Amino acid sequence: MRLVVTRRIKPLRFGGIIIPLLSIIIGIVIASIALLVLARVPPTLVYTIIAQSFVSPQLLRPFVLLTILGVALIISFSAAVWNIGAEGQIIWGMIAAGYIGLFVAAHSMYIKPSELPTYENMPGVMILDRSPIHPVVSVLNVSPAVGGALMILAALVFGAIWAFIAGTLRAVLEIDEVASTLIMNYIAYYSFNYLVTGPMRGLSVQARNFGRTDALHEALRFQRLPIAGTTVTWQEVATMVVVFVLAWVLLKYTTYGLRLRILGSNPNALRAAGVSVRKYIIAALTISGAIAGVVGALIFAANLFALNKIDNVVSPPTQSMGYTAILVSWLAMLDLKGIPISAYIVAGLMQTGNSLQAALGSVSTAGAMISGAAITHVLVGFVLLTYTVLRVFTEYSIKVVRGGR
Amino acid sequence: MSAVAQNQDNFSQIRTSREMGGITVLVKNLVKRFPGVTALDNVKFELRKGEIHALLGENGAGKTTFVKILYGIYVPDSGDVIVDGKKVTFTSPIDAIRHGISLVSQIPQIIGSLTIAENIILGLEKYGLMTKVRKIEDYIREESKEVGIRVDPNTEVWKLSYTQKQLVELLRAVILGAKVLMLDEAITFLPIREKRKFYKFMKKFVSQGGSVILITHKIPEALEAADRITVLRRGKYVGTIEAKNATIDTVRRMMFGERSAEITYERLPLSTPEDKVMLEVKDLWVMGDYGAFAVKGVKLQVRAGEIVGIAGVAGNGQLELIQAVMGLRKVRKGQVLLRTNGGLKDVTNKGTGVIRKIGVGYIPDEPLKFGVSMENNIEENLAMLPLIAQGFIKWSQMRDLAERLIKEFKVITPSSKTPVKLLSGGNLMKVLVGRELSVARKLLVAYNPTRALDEVTAIAVRKTIKNKVLKDRIAVLMVSEDLDEIFQVSDTIAVMNAGKIVGVFPAEKADRDQVEKLMVM
Repeated sequence: MRLVVTRRIKPLRFGGIIIPLLSIIIGIVIASIALLVLARVPPTLVYTIIAQSFVSPQLLRPFVLLTILGVALIISFSAAVWNIGAEGQIIWGMIAAGYIGLFVAAHSMYIKPSELPTYENMPGVMILDRSPIHPVVSVLNVSPAVGGALMILAALVFGAIWAFIAGTLRAVLEIDEVASTLIMNYIAYYSFNYLVTGPMRGLSVQARNFGRTDALHEALRFQRLPIAGTTVTWQEVATMVVVFVLAWVLLKYTTYGLRLRILGSNPNALRAAGVSVRKYIIAALTISGAIAGVVGALIFAANLFALNKIDNVVSPPTQSMGYTAILVSWLAMLDLKGIPISAYIVAGLMQTGNSLQAALGSVSTAGAMISGAAITHVLVGFVLLTYTVLRVFTEYSIKVVRGGR
Repeated sequence: MSAVAQNQDNFSQIRTSREMGGITVLVKNLVKRFPGVTALDNVKFELRKGEIHALLGENGAGKTTFVKILYGIYVPDSGDVIVDGKKVTFTSPIDAIRHGISLVSQIPQIIGSLTIAENIILGLEKYGLMTKVRKIEDYIREESKEVGIRVDPNTEVWKLSYTQKQLVELLRAVILGAKVLMLDEAITFLPIREKRKFYKFMKKFVSQGGSVILITHKIPEALEAADRITVLRRGKYVGTIEAKNATIDTVRRMMFGERSAEITYERLPLSTPEDKVMLEVKDLWVMGDYGAFAVKGVKLQVRAGEIVGIAGVAGNGQLELIQAVMGLRKVRKGQVLLRTNGGLKDVTNKGTGVIRKIGVGYIPDEPLKFGVSMENNIEENLAMLPLIAQGFIKWSQMRDLAERLIKEFKVITPSSKTPVKLLSGGNLMKVLVGRELSVARKLLVAYNPTRALDEVTAIAVRKTIKNKVLKDRIAVLMVSEDLDEIFQVSDTIAVMNAGKIVGVFPAEKADRDQVEKLMVM
């Protein structure tokens, strides 16, 4: 009698849902034991906070953004084109949205201190700086709806262009996109710094002193959903729905999507069918980059409002979501249906890490000092580990057989 | 029918007379099911020490599944595999190799960028990391002399011809200590003279106590090389006979039953080509993979309603010619012209997309690599062609088309949504041929269109191609390494040798001896 592992002919039914869910449960149990041993964090506290975190409305915004990014990445991953550059594409989306929001849809200008009262209640004007020497106001040039649409559109275009460059390098010069997209993230970070401290630097005192842009006109800021405890805006939710539906249609109901998927498994067959493999490689990255770019606009207009210089590339204004999204798309086993589920799980784990840190600060019995980041890593690490082990079951089955080796 | 029953009697007789040669591999009641199909249904098999045992069957008979079980790729649902008297269950090829069972398949499984020596070392446990390369090379040279294969261990594998690669695979198997060699259609596509090299090798191998399982769908090959023949049909054991008592007809009847009457090698009715030239190739020069010209000034015309068959030994530039015509390989000099609705159009180096759009079907040389996407299902493999679907896909249409192909070509598959990797090699080929015929409005370019198909199916496919030519007046440019095929369907036979067309004959005037002479000239 012995165990035999064989490749499944048919993948496990509902494996795409069962495996991530089981991974999270088992992973959390192991992680709580680890936290108990390492930092004497009581497991009950961990479970309580996890349970709270996973139903917390705070989860909503990271969930929405990670879903959009997960979809962006799955489009290129399913073509076996590895877009590691969502970060850079988001950054360029921010820059583009920032430019539109701060210089086109509205613009800021100096006024005389004596003019302040005149501008005070003028429609379409927002006072950015009440400095007695150089007051600054922001003047709205277009309707907020047009401005919002323009910001998203510009972000889409710039994200796409940034990814298109990497796509062209891969398709024409055969430069590996993993390396180029990753390197281009840093180019994007430093370009961002140059722009926000140089050409796009704001007029207000704070902007001039701290090297940042002015703040976005209030009318152009995206509106929050009327749910207590969340900062998510309806524009973000709408974008998620639109992106998800479009990606679904693209991948399932068009020849472009089908060929992207075939590009992932057999580019030779595509070539012989008369399809330009180069175009499809470029398209995979460009579409992926376009969606990631849109996220840049969302982060800017829903949450940041002003673009600050990145002091440390480890903590960019993207909150490194471009990398986290890689996790999301793999956790979904590169299946579009799985993206919202895995985005929810990852968002929940991130949230848990933050809440645990806050809780441990107040619970003195917990004793050991352990940072939120460390907790998050322990949680995510164990969940991924379990996931990796469990994933084997979707492709292999284990049987007991009689007979010797 | 009685022949079959008799053969089963033979089998039991053989089993009782074990002393005449030990039994190396004994398989009993083997069952393997896949979703929707029973690939093997109570199959038995017996391999004696020192024999060459051919395993024959039509497409989808279960030959490959059987081999994969013996090689540890699949685990059987039930049944026993007994090797040297001990019951075994292989769960990976390593288990099989440790028991002395090696496989050489149709597609060489060696790494192109490494040398022969490096490829062989990969599986060798005798030498470790620190062994001097020189010592291993000498060992390989010695071993290769021993088994009668001449190789330079320092040659990179990509420089080798198909035959040489297969010989290296055999050498590797022997060096790894194989007692049982399984050749899964490994020599089916070799010209007869090359095949004989393998026969010689096999005879020597078995005379030294090894055994060979020769898996093939070519009956003459089995009759010439094997001592015994076992036939499978639709996953069931039909019988085992001594090769010296067998004839082509008895084996055919075992393989196909009633359908064996459909086998004919008579020339199919000639079509009457029109004067309208559909494809014209002018003074074509195309580079091969090794930096030398593989096609040297080929001139060729294919007219509407004509099948031009190019005969030749593999590796004489046919592949490069076909690829250049399809826009998959760069033309260095010369022209490729295709008939469009607006007359002959120069499509030289215009890209496959442009060429396909004119209405060109293409059956490539390595169907698994260039023809289909294994991970996708039949419908998706249809929709991937720009000639079949563009933009939004109407899946209901694809299903109708897939179901039509499945019916017309008798594809054995649970459904049109089955991933093609689950289809047998022959069924997969039928899907590909069907798809390409459906898009060939002007021209069909084919390389070994019936490779991997059994006789009955191959002949059916040839008839389908012929009917398409007769009915739709398309042109066909077909390369085949199988002369029977060339003579059966071609209206015009061209012989290619060393990158040149060395002879063109109207089919009715072509003489087989003359063609063969030109091929090896």
